[in-house]
Amino acid sequence: MSIMNLLISAGGELHYDDKGVVTHNPILPETPEIIWGGLASIIIFLLLAKFAGPQIKKAMAGRTARIQKELDSAADDQASASKEAADIRQAKGDIAAERARILAEAESQAASVLAEGRARLATELAELETKAQSEIAASANRVGDELRAEVARLSIAAVDHVVTGSLDTATHQELIENFITRVGASR
Amino acid sequence: MNDDRIDGYARGLFEIARAEGTIDRVEDELYRFARAYEGNEQLRNALSDQGIPAARRQTIVEDLLGGKATGTTVQLVSMVVGSGRASELPAIIDRVVARASGAKNLEVAEVRTAVPLTGDQETRLAAALQKATGKSINLKVVVDPAVIGGVVATIGDTVIDGSVRSRIEQLKSRL
Repeated sequence: MSIMNLLISAGGELHYDDKGVVTHNPILPETPEIIWGGLASIIIFLLLAKFAGPQIKKAMAGRTARIQKELDSAADDQASASKEAADIRQAKGDIAAERARILAEAESQAASVLAEGRARLATELAELETKAQSEIAASANRVGDELRAEVARLSIAAVDHVVTGSLDTATHQELIENFITRVGASR
Repeated sequence: MNDDRIDGYARGLFEIARAEGTIDRVEDELYRFARAYEGNEQLRNALSDQGIPAARRQTIVEDLLGGKATGTTVQLVSMVVGSGRASELPAIIDRVVARASGAKNLEVAEVRTAVPLTGDQETRLAAALQKATGKSINLKVVVDPAVIGGVVATIGDTVIDGSVRSRIEQLKSRL
């Protein structure tokens, strides 16, 4: 059963309890109660409209203003954020440029250091090669000198041995006679 | 020993030999003994050792020269050795020889050879040296095996070296 049907059926009949007391409609109030209640409601509404309306309007206007202020502030914040973002983007661009410059400078310095290192290495290699050649030549000369000295020593020993052993009496006499002849022929 | 003392000994030996009339032979014997003394370390040590009694040293001299040299030569050497001047003996004898040569206007020519020279060779060598230097020569021959071969002649400051030793030394220096 719908609510409308319940209201209609409730308005058409009375209900009595076991003591004979009349029970009204359990849903709808009594008619005078409706009238007075309606009047009281109207009066209260009017009073509210007269005395609370301005306050409500004022509060609404204040709230609107506050909301507008907040919106304006948000817009300012947005603009500020946009500017800051632009600054950051610009700074980012500057950083990129600086990074590129630093990288270029570093590459230039690295190339310079590399070139200097290569040049120094080449010089050192040339010096080492020259020194090594000089040492090799000195060693060769030293070995040659030692060899010549050894040959000379052996030759000297051989000369002493051969000459001393080959001097017989005839040779002694020949040497003496040659000396006398040579001295006598001088002057 | 200082120079005056050497000269004093030399003058004494020279005058004794000249007084004995054997100066030519004595100075020649003294010269040969001096060279032998220089070339023999054992002899030098024995004759200059002051620890050996003088009489013993003189006996050594007499044993060495006895029968090989004149009595004057033996006595003169023995006197020098006995007086403890053996170490100066070569210098004293050289001074005697120089004095004897000077007395005859001769220049001492020391000739070193590896083998002894014959009399003929000494005569011809003296003549050759005289011709080469223009001086009268008092030839003193010393047999020195160190020469190896040939002749080395020293006249004053002049040295004429025809020895095998010098040629070997030249060869060694070139090597």
